[in-house]
Amino acid sequence: MPRLPNTSPQTLSVLELLLESPRSWHYGYALSQLTGLKSGTLYPILMRLADQGWLETRWTEPEQPGRPPRHTYRLTGEGAKAARTTLAEAPPSRMTRRLVFVPGSR
Amino acid sequence: MPMHGFLGRLADALARQLLSWLHRRVEPGSREWLDALTAESECADDGWQRLRWVLGGVPLVWTINKRRRMNEPTRGTMRARIAPGVANIAAIAGGHAVIIQAIDVATHFFRCHLLFGNQPGGCQDHPFVFASIAIGGAVLGMIVALALRARFAAYWWAVISVFNTVGSVWYLRSGIVDLPRYGATQSAMLMAATFGAVLVAIVRETPWTETGASFLSRHRITAHLIAGTISFAMADFLIRMHDRHLVADTVSHYAVLGSAMFAAILAGLIGRHGSRRSAKGTIVRL
Repeated sequence: MPRLPNTSPQTLSVLELLLESPRSWHYGYALSQLTGLKSGTLYPILMRLADQGWLETRWTEPEQPGRPPRHTYRLTGEGAKAARTTLAEAPPSRMTRRLVFVPGSR
Repeated sequence: MPMHGFLGRLADALARQLLSWLHRRVEPGSREWLDALTAESECADDGWQRLRWVLGGVPLVWTINKRRRMNEPTRGTMRARIAPGVANIAAIAGGHAVIIQAIDVATHFFRCHLLFGNQPGGCQDHPFVFASIAIGGAVLGMIVALALRARFAAYWWAVISVFNTVGSVWYLRSGIVDLPRYGATQSAMLMAATFGAVLVAIVRETPWTETGASFLSRHRITAHLIAGTISFAMADFLIRMHDRHLVADTVSHYAVLGSAMFAAILAGLIGRHGSRRSAKGTIVRL
């Protein structure tokens, strides 16, 4: 039986984190550190969520001069609703505990 | 713990080189996500962290290019459908024509006959000549198929190359002492080689997970060896059902195992070639 979309443990951990502050913009590096996901896993997930309309993205000016603009992410209204449903329906075995916590976002 | 000094700087330089290489592998219009990853790499505390972060760009680029290919409209529908088929048929038929012709010339030259087998006057009086034709022809067929981007034909010739190579070694090692056993071993080898190539082709072509991070997608060589082992087991099981004498012979066993493993590795190389071509956006999916 094919797996439902966006129910992998990695995707669930990203959704869980984004839902903690759905109106805030998140940076990719911080998401990676907070979920413990490597960049090669995290970015394909973000790409897919953005393609599905669950995630909105925007470029922000860098905080320090000389650095490139940064890409930030947050859930759309529809995405937040769908994420809540997905997390509620996900079996407990699929839920992952975040192992890494770095306070603050960079 | 941050790592400083020469190694840290080396890792940093490697990370920047890798980023530059990755950017060249993605079309300018599809670089948004790679640019995002690149910008975030500036947040890394040291060179090693940056290198670890940038290494994630490799699967990301693979995903970006795969999505771009999937979203591309099919250009010239009829041509897109017919051209790969023609290339595959030409690569398979052309290769066989060359091999058959070469064998025909060799039998005339050495005044021997194929049907006599290992009897006096048979072609197996000259095993190295005919083995070279069989192996060389198949390998040439595989190379031509890859050049024509005819992936199915390339897998086909990989199976034949493996079969001819292992078969030649098997023959030179043990000789043909009795034809029924030889026939059974040949069947098992061909089955094992076919299973090996097909399984690895499936491993290479299947998008394993939505994140592309499954064990098999991260450990391709292991995946190929597993596919080879499964192929050997399947061929061995099928042949045991018909010919129990085969399993008593260690040499035959090695021949079947060798066929499965060799085919799996060759098929992996073909898939890798296809992926590399795909990264440049030039491959035609077959």
